[in-house]
Amino acid sequence: MPVIEVSHLTKEYRLGAMQGLKQTLLNAGARLMGKTIPERPLFKALDDVSFAIEPGEVVGIIGHNGAGKSTLLKMLAKISTPTRGSVMANGRIAPLIEVGAGFVPDFTGRENVYLNGAILGMSKQEIDRKFDEIVDFAEMAEFIDTPVKRYSSGMQVKLAFAVATSIEAEILIVDEVLAVGDLAFQRKCFDRMEDIIKNQGRTVLLVSHNIRQVERICSRVILMDHGKAIADGTATEVCELFYQQSNSKIEAQAHQAAVAKVSGSGEVTIDSIDILDDHGHAVSEIESGERLRIRVRFTLLHDLAGLEIVAGTHRTDFVYISSASTHDFLPNMPFSRGAHEIEYIVPSFPLAAGTYSVRLVFLDKNWRHLFNGESLKTFTVKAKRLESMNSQWKMVDLPTEFLVDGQHYALQQKTDGACCAVK
Amino acid sequence: MLTIAKNLYDYRELMATLAWKNVTLRYKQAYLGIAWAILKPVMLMLIFTLVKSFVGIESGDIPYPILVFAALMPWTFFQESTSEGVTSVVGNTALIKKIYFPREIFPITSVLTKLVELGISFVILAGLMVWYQMMPSIYILWVPLIIAYTILAALTIAFAGAAINVYYRDVGAALPVMLSLLMYISPVIYPLQLVKDKLLVQQAAGEWSDTLYTLYTLNPLAGIIDAFQNVVLRGAPPDLNAMIPGAIMIVILLPLSYLYFKRAESYFADVI
Repeated sequence: MPVIEVSHLTKEYRLGAMQGLKQTLLNAGARLMGKTIPERPLFKALDDVSFAIEPGEVVGIIGHNGAGKSTLLKMLAKISTPTRGSVMANGRIAPLIEVGAGFVPDFTGRENVYLNGAILGMSKQEIDRKFDEIVDFAEMAEFIDTPVKRYSSGMQVKLAFAVATSIEAEILIVDEVLAVGDLAFQRKCFDRMEDIIKNQGRTVLLVSHNIRQVERICSRVILMDHGKAIADGTATEVCELFYQQSNSKIEAQAHQAAVAKVSGSGEVTIDSIDILDDHGHAVSEIESGERLRIRVRFTLLHDLAGLEIVAGTHRTDFVYISSASTHDFLPNMPFSRGAHEIEYIVPSFPLAAGTYSVRLVFLDKNWRHLFNGESLKTFTVKAKRLESMNSQWKMVDLPTEFLVDGQHYALQQKTDGACCAVK
Repeated sequence: MLTIAKNLYDYRELMATLAWKNVTLRYKQAYLGIAWAILKPVMLMLIFTLVKSFVGIESGDIPYPILVFAALMPWTFFQESTSEGVTSVVGNTALIKKIYFPREIFPITSVLTKLVELGISFVILAGLMVWYQMMPSIYILWVPLIIAYTILAALTIAFAGAAINVYYRDVGAALPVMLSLLMYISPVIYPLQLVKDKLLVQQAAGEWSDTLYTLYTLNPLAGIIDAFQNVVLRGAPPDLNAMIPGAIMIVILLPLSYLYFKRAESYFADVI
């Protein structure tokens, strides 16, 4: 028998703010004039979500911001009521939706442990019994009789985490609480969570943006998107799907968000910027390690004796990747008035998959800025092979070999795009 | 009914802890500490006694200071637990959004908190009675009942008020004004006997006098304050006639208020 059963869960919110007296009067007036009042639109935070969780399962819930994860947890913890559908839970639920809810700054650590424990549903005896263990775990013995307002934020979170995880409940609901404190304490928290999960056989629901953590702890993962549970399966499967989705979303966003930043004297006008493939066709995507060709067409207002052109690329978060100046090749190159075309070529552009932008600077011989532009054109670098798991951990994609126990391994590209290890 | 009682029982520790939190918190960073709970009714008593020396209020054979103090005790308790109760839900937004427990715990806890302060003012009352050499009678045993009734009256407003306050903060803003108005139509500054004399004996409003008196006693505080003074100071039983209209109103309104609160409860976290 499932310990949690969610069926056709839907939650709608009305968008917009409450209407005050003024708006009500205005609306009434408009209605009298025979106009229709636009209803505030509904927003579906959760849209027909159904799943069942068996006792002892450790389920991760992942998804982008606003996918409905926290709303789902709120429904499970009974904090909020579904618009339609139902949530059934058999057993005591301990929601660690946010640790430290209800900490009172004026109270000492000791008082807060009792207060927080009571709020989380522990009896006084239960807290008495666990008090030492809680203080011990939080490494707070020295400060336990000091008001919490004198604690550093890290100390507060540590204490809160220690209290929250000492609840003996059949069902634990955890929302992004694993990352608290410094690295050493995070390690401790993580071990404690793993202990709770693996050794005590409790049912756990875990919401996190740390997909690696989810992958490691959870036996099953549900992927949420726009209020719907779009995937539900083993951790590896669903996390992989999420990574792919994430990448494409970031790329799409970057394309939209890149607004060119341009300043200049007006003596140079950029007519077009194109990314070219080997055949000279304009493209928007190149493969990592391929040749990068950027063609710039521009018009000069008057003759210039020594024009210097700097071309380069940068990441969408303005980490500058490459930059080169024509000055290094052709100092004091004279340019006549009218249209010109140059190409900036990087024979191998070995960057990690992602979105990049073009940057251009035009200077005259006195180093006066004629034109200065960033995010002029965005293009995507796609990975050579399926490597989505790694793309967030690197900036450049360098050729790599491994020597394992004296055996030499290198990755070799096959014609069909797949790769394999060769000795 | 049963579920209410069960909830109250299940969450008794939480309520006790939260009430303890409220009490300690109020006085933690204050030098005078819990003494503030005493100072408020004492100051009001002094002010009213001063005012009385100008306008002349008939207080019978009871000294006015102790009479007004005995009126201020249930009144202050009612007034403060009501206003605390109404703002209790909004004031605990952080908890409401994070953790579930039955939400009626918030208004109830507010009332419990005020009960502690009421207990402290009993010490002052006892001191005043020693000062004026007054002996309590057997009727003092009514006090717990009267206080229980006051709690119900406060909760009647607190439940509905707290729920509406989540949607419209106007309630929280309007309440202090309404409560200070209510004080003047309650026998705080003047004893109920004055109203009785005017309306029932002298029939000051003609044929409307009796109806007006019933309307006046619809305010539960009229009966409560008078009863409290009777059993503590006058050594007399409560005047039940003055209590019945208010009690009927509470019996009808309290369940409605509670039901409204429970219906609104599930949307608190969304709206607040």
